[in-house]
Amino acid sequence: MEQHLGSVCECILSLSTNDKRLNLRALASARSLIINSSTSDSTISALFETLTRFLQLTTEPRALHHTLKLLSDIAFHHSRLSGLVFHSVRSYLLRSDSTRLSAESLAVLSSIAEHDRSLASAMDELDDRFFVSLCFGPSVSVRSWFLSNAFRFPIRPYVLLTVMLGFTKDPYPYVRRVALDGLVGLSKSSVIEDCGVIEGCYCRAVELLGDAEDSVRCAAVHAVSEWGKMLVASVQEMNKRYWSDAVFVRLCSMVRDMSMEVRVAAFDALGKIGVVSEDILLQTLSKRVLGITKEKKPLGQCSAKRKSLGQYIPKHFDIQACVAAGAFVHGLEDEFYEVRWSACHSLHTLTILSAKFAGEALNLLMDVLNDDSLNVRLRALETMHHMATCDHLKVQETHMHMFLGTLVDNSTFIRSTARKILRLMKLHDLKMFQSSIDGLLENLEVYPQDEADILSVLFDIGRNHGNFVVCIIKKFSQEIEPSCEGRLDFDSVRVAALLVLAISAPLSEAQKVCSIPSRIFSYAVTLLGRISHALKDVMNQNTLLAYLSHCSKSTIVDNSESFFPMIEGDIPNCSCIDMISPAGMSLQQGASENENQKRLEPRKSATPLLDCQLEVHSEVAKSIKLILLKINDIWFLVQKGCMAEVLRMLRSFREELATYMSDSLVSADTLAFTFQYLRVVKLLAKVWEHFLPPRKTQSYRIGELNLLLGKLDRNLKEMRYRFRGLSKEEELHVLELILVTCILRLSKVEICCHNATLKKLSMIISHAEFLHKEGSIEPYNFVVELKKSLGEIDTYNDGASCRPFLLKRLLESFSLKQFRLSGSPKHIKAEIDLPVRIGCG
Amino acid sequence: MAIECLVLGAGQEVGKSCAVVTINGKRIMFDCGMHMGYLDHRRFPDFSLISKSADFNTAIDCIVITHFHLDHVGALPYFTEVCGYSGPIYMTYPTKALSPLMLEDYRKVMVDRRGEQELFSNDDIMKCMKKVIAVDLKQTVQVDKDLQIRAYYAGHVLGAAMFYAKVGDAAMVYTGDYNMTPDRHLGAAQIDRLQLDLLITESTYATTVRDSKYAREREFLKAVHKCVADGGKVLIPTFALGRAQELCILLDNYWERMNLKVPIYFSAGLTIQANMYYKMLISWTNQRVKETYATHNAFDFKNVRSFDRSLINAPGPCVLFATPGMISGGFSLEVFKLWAPSEMNLVTLPGYCLAGTIGHKLTTGKPTKIDLDKDIQISVRCQIHQLSFSPHTDAKGIMDLVKFLSPKHVILVHGEKPKMASLKGKIESDLGIQCYYPANNDTVCIPSTCWLKADTSKTFIRSSLNPNFKFVKTISEDKSNLVSKETEATSVLQVHDERVAEGILIVEKSKKAKVVHQNELLLMIGKDKHDVQFAYCCPVQIGNLERTKGMDFALSKNVVSTSDECSWLHLLFAKLATKLGGNIQDFGQHLQVDSIHISVCLKDICPYRTTDGPQKEPAVFFCCTWSVADVNLAWEIISIMENLDLSII
Repeated sequence: MEQHLGSVCECILSLSTNDKRLNLRALASARSLIINSSTSDSTISALFETLTRFLQLTTEPRALHHTLKLLSDIAFHHSRLSGLVFHSVRSYLLRSDSTRLSAESLAVLSSIAEHDRSLASAMDELDDRFFVSLCFGPSVSVRSWFLSNAFRFPIRPYVLLTVMLGFTKDPYPYVRRVALDGLVGLSKSSVIEDCGVIEGCYCRAVELLGDAEDSVRCAAVHAVSEWGKMLVASVQEMNKRYWSDAVFVRLCSMVRDMSMEVRVAAFDALGKIGVVSEDILLQTLSKRVLGITKEKKPLGQCSAKRKSLGQYIPKHFDIQACVAAGAFVHGLEDEFYEVRWSACHSLHTLTILSAKFAGEALNLLMDVLNDDSLNVRLRALETMHHMATCDHLKVQETHMHMFLGTLVDNSTFIRSTARKILRLMKLHDLKMFQSSIDGLLENLEVYPQDEADILSVLFDIGRNHGNFVVCIIKKFSQEIEPSCEGRLDFDSVRVAALLVLAISAPLSEAQKVCSIPSRIFSYAVTLLGRISHALKDVMNQNTLLAYLSHCSKSTIVDNSESFFPMIEGDIPNCSCIDMISPAGMSLQQGASENENQKRLEPRKSATPLLDCQLEVHSEVAKSIKLILLKINDIWFLVQKGCMAEVLRMLRSFREELATYMSDSLVSADTLAFTFQYLRVVKLLAKVWEHFLPPRKTQSYRIGELNLLLGKLDRNLKEMRYRFRGLSKEEELHVLELILVTCILRLSKVEICCHNATLKKLSMIISHAEFLHKEGSIEPYNFVVELKKSLGEIDTYNDGASCRPFLLKRLLESFSLKQFRLSGSPKHIKAEIDLPVRIGCG
Repeated sequence: MAIECLVLGAGQEVGKSCAVVTINGKRIMFDCGMHMGYLDHRRFPDFSLISKSADFNTAIDCIVITHFHLDHVGALPYFTEVCGYSGPIYMTYPTKALSPLMLEDYRKVMVDRRGEQELFSNDDIMKCMKKVIAVDLKQTVQVDKDLQIRAYYAGHVLGAAMFYAKVGDAAMVYTGDYNMTPDRHLGAAQIDRLQLDLLITESTYATTVRDSKYAREREFLKAVHKCVADGGKVLIPTFALGRAQELCILLDNYWERMNLKVPIYFSAGLTIQANMYYKMLISWTNQRVKETYATHNAFDFKNVRSFDRSLINAPGPCVLFATPGMISGGFSLEVFKLWAPSEMNLVTLPGYCLAGTIGHKLTTGKPTKIDLDKDIQISVRCQIHQLSFSPHTDAKGIMDLVKFLSPKHVILVHGEKPKMASLKGKIESDLGIQCYYPANNDTVCIPSTCWLKADTSKTFIRSSLNPNFKFVKTISEDKSNLVSKETEATSVLQVHDERVAEGILIVEKSKKAKVVHQNELLLMIGKDKHDVQFAYCCPVQIGNLERTKGMDFALSKNVVSTSDECSWLHLLFAKLATKLGGNIQDFGQHLQVDSIHISVCLKDICPYRTTDGPQKEPAVFFCCTWSVADVNLAWEIISIMENLDLSII
């Protein structure tokens, strides 16, 4: 192959002298030489020389295009030459007079610079004027390319803003679209603070909501949402509500667009608005114009008042609240499931704002449960669940038929989410209670595989509605009683379910004196295994037995709380079987062996039930706890390699937390800590992906892993040092993560800094050991394993053959534990003000 | 140029839709329906109004049919075969497939059952259909050199379309019947944002605002589920096309999810045939049906079985779809007779029931007995459930569509007069669009857009390729606030890109209009460029100075010698520089601020000097000239100069 080189070079050079026709064959063979990894260095260098010379000689645009492509190939496949390629292309760029070729060479330069940070400074030398001049040429494709890639170049934000804003007036729709996208990007950079500029951008985006092109309208919706947010943030406190409403209504006007993408974007944007007046929210649920919004005043306050506040709005920017009429009605009955999903999703955040709105929205959401699409139904249920956790779920009798229908849905997800809601639901009368129990029993009958969860739900419902249980059990008692042969029907799951319901009653707050016949508790003992399996999250078998035998003697429980404290929110589904609350001990002493108690004592501090008691019953704490719980589940997905799913979940957690950001009541420190933890988990998951057996041909950028590990290190360090008052367990958890990172680093020969990492490893291990001893906490499995093999790792200093297996085994023994946040760590922050000059000009 | 719209049917009424629109000389007939309420000549549109000579082929360029309902297609065989129109007819593929079914069914009922005179034969229908050209959605059809039409999805029924028609620069849309909310098998209407002169829209529900359809579906499912759970039988009398399929999809899905095993039956006949068409025409349904089509055709109902007569009396629960709707006779009546007496059973009536039918009797009041004829009386003990599903858009949907398209004019058809009047008011007041609702046989004339074609010069084209935007802070003054007498002004940043507007349109006699770049204008008309200059000779006092210096200067009062010229100018420069800052420049012979040029005037009589009185104080005159752009600044400087005294240092 390489013999041809001479001829190839000749051919290429001949192009410059005789550029009538491009010799594509020569180019193709040059390219194959470049991408072939076995081509010798000298050949590549020769090729590079030829191409560089050619770049200087020829003027034919097509030939130049191919040359640039080949040069960029050289830079990517042979990184040692990337610097040289960079400089030769750069010198070409500076004298090129064709916009199109300048853009192409700029693309080559920037992608080289992105890989090789050392060259980035050379990019900075090109000034704003040079970049911007590119898009003022007549070539539309260069213009749109530049605008969509503008963020890759070092351009001052205000220059960029001017360019982007200007090009929203371009006659070409694609240019308008990328310009709007660029504005959205700029809004995120948060450097623009001038009120007038923000208003100008917002107004321009609003104008483009009426564009003839679908894609432009879609981009305009994004821009209105983002700049609207900035506008709301920039105005004075008293005007915030007005502007927030105005942006909301403006977005509502787009939900009837004929383009599906625009509608989806509009609903996504609606969900991001944090403050909206209740009357406008209510209007979105009714297609008829409501009395409050009927008057033709433009939104809430009258215009005179607004003007007196120094806010002028051009006439066509005035918008009436009635535009919002029925926005969600339309969204939820849209033809496209993407739109319906998005509408459900935005209700998720908006229902927090107003209980009345949540109540009305529930009427619509209940009907969505009859949707064709599984995703939409699930989303609707999740929204309801969210409403329930915010205590905004007011289910009425008319809803019950539809809602309980989901309990026999043939999708497991739907059923389990429906049960999750049922756990939290407050049932107001016996009829609703009865129908819920019927629904659950039907669920049990049709899908016996759900037994464990159903029993546990029944137990929870029973605890929350003690009075109703008593009424119901009276009715069912015939069924529970042994048949005439005196045999209890052990096989009937139904009986088990009813027994669980019955035994939950004495634990109800409302039911101090329990009128459940004591023999029922004795019956329940016969199904002990089954019941305790279902209730393993709440209590272990021994406790249950103790409880049952206590109740079968006397049905009065003095302090039901002492047994199983009421848990609000979701029941943690952790698998600690040996949990018991210390208060229950006294009772247990009589019932079960003492030995059991001893075994449990040292673990007292670790019981999540205790955590629950300690917990401040604030919503956020609950939510944080839930999230920490769910992260535990994520690890399984990470190991399976479902990265997209994992990242999506983590993102949703972050969004959920972000909704609390404005809440001043919440300990900002705890939030910050959770955010930090989420970041760490995300990075860890991303790193882990590199260690999984490749499932399909995946390509990673060079140095990506290194970069990720670096970030992970930094974030873990922050977690360790920037939060004060971590408990020993919490600290150990962090330490374990640091250890894993070390091992991950060691496993990749190409990136590990062997000695430094090893040093760090042994340091951390000894610190962990110290903590274990001091707090008498059982070390994690992973740490134990690591300690054992530490010596081995050390000996294979030169990366010998057996080490990879050792490390792999170690990594396999790691699994992400649930993070139990007991106290509230203090976030240490220090801000340093430095006089920073923005940009280079 | 104008668009003329002659409404032959469905003007201030529902039935026999037919509108003949003339756009820039081209005539299109939209829909050709029959009125189901009349049996005399009123059942067809009055075609004689189109052409006195009955030469329809020259009078009409093409016919466009929106969907297969008889009030939109019913008169077509009559018009083509009896009246003799033989020009092109356009409709969508499903409409072409299903229209003959509907027409033949109607003909049979009229001729075979009621023994009426035949208006058109089966042959006529077939011949007529041969002339039809089928079109696809969003396919642009060039009918002739000037006229093009395009179909857009309208929902409503399978194959329903809205039609866009364009002749030259004038464009319009005729919606036919449409639905803005999707149902279980069809999607919502979908159209591009077009530049329109006229929109002709249906207005069946001109004042109704409908609630979410989900609630009605829920009620329906709940009633049916409850009935079959208790072991009852459900009878759903429907017509074969549309509603039957929609409800069946709804039930089939529900059955699937709830794991119900109760059989659903379809009575044989037209429904089976119609289902076949639905299965084939998947691309005309909604997103879900289309997406699941690869794995499962939604019209392959999993739980549906065909019905056998022997099953009527079989024990156990079931659901039965039977034709015709409204229980106006036939099989549905037969089943009703047998099932009505049991209170376990349920009769669900979807949609509207004509007066006189049993369906109507059941929905109005709660009869316990219905007299079928003199001898037969049915005792009705079953439950009755009425469903109001409509495939027409509601008032809000019409408003949404009009707002989205924002045409210049709107014509309402296919509705009831008082409701149309109220909708017209709403469209005019809320959207500011001119709106009409002509009665049958009335003509509405509206002006149409006409674009003038112009040539362009190369320089102009080149200049418009390059972006040229600027930012303007528009000052908007609020003058309404008279009480405080303050004009509050705040500015809003706006972008202008004037690359196109900077051209100059030249229209010369007997020549085509041409757009040129502004730089080319002078060359083209062969004239020189003139600039407007302002000038003013401004006196500046020097009184005190003269006195202090004594009368060394043997000068007449108002004249300054050349040697002093520069010193006066320097003095003025020094004074102005302190007031104006660094903007002012001294060029020795003159001073300059932007385009303002100030020099000492030595003339005795300067044409720019205002001599409105004798000079009291000694003064030096300065001639100032400036161009239009700096008018304000110039007067500001002059007023400074007039109040200056060069002697005070």
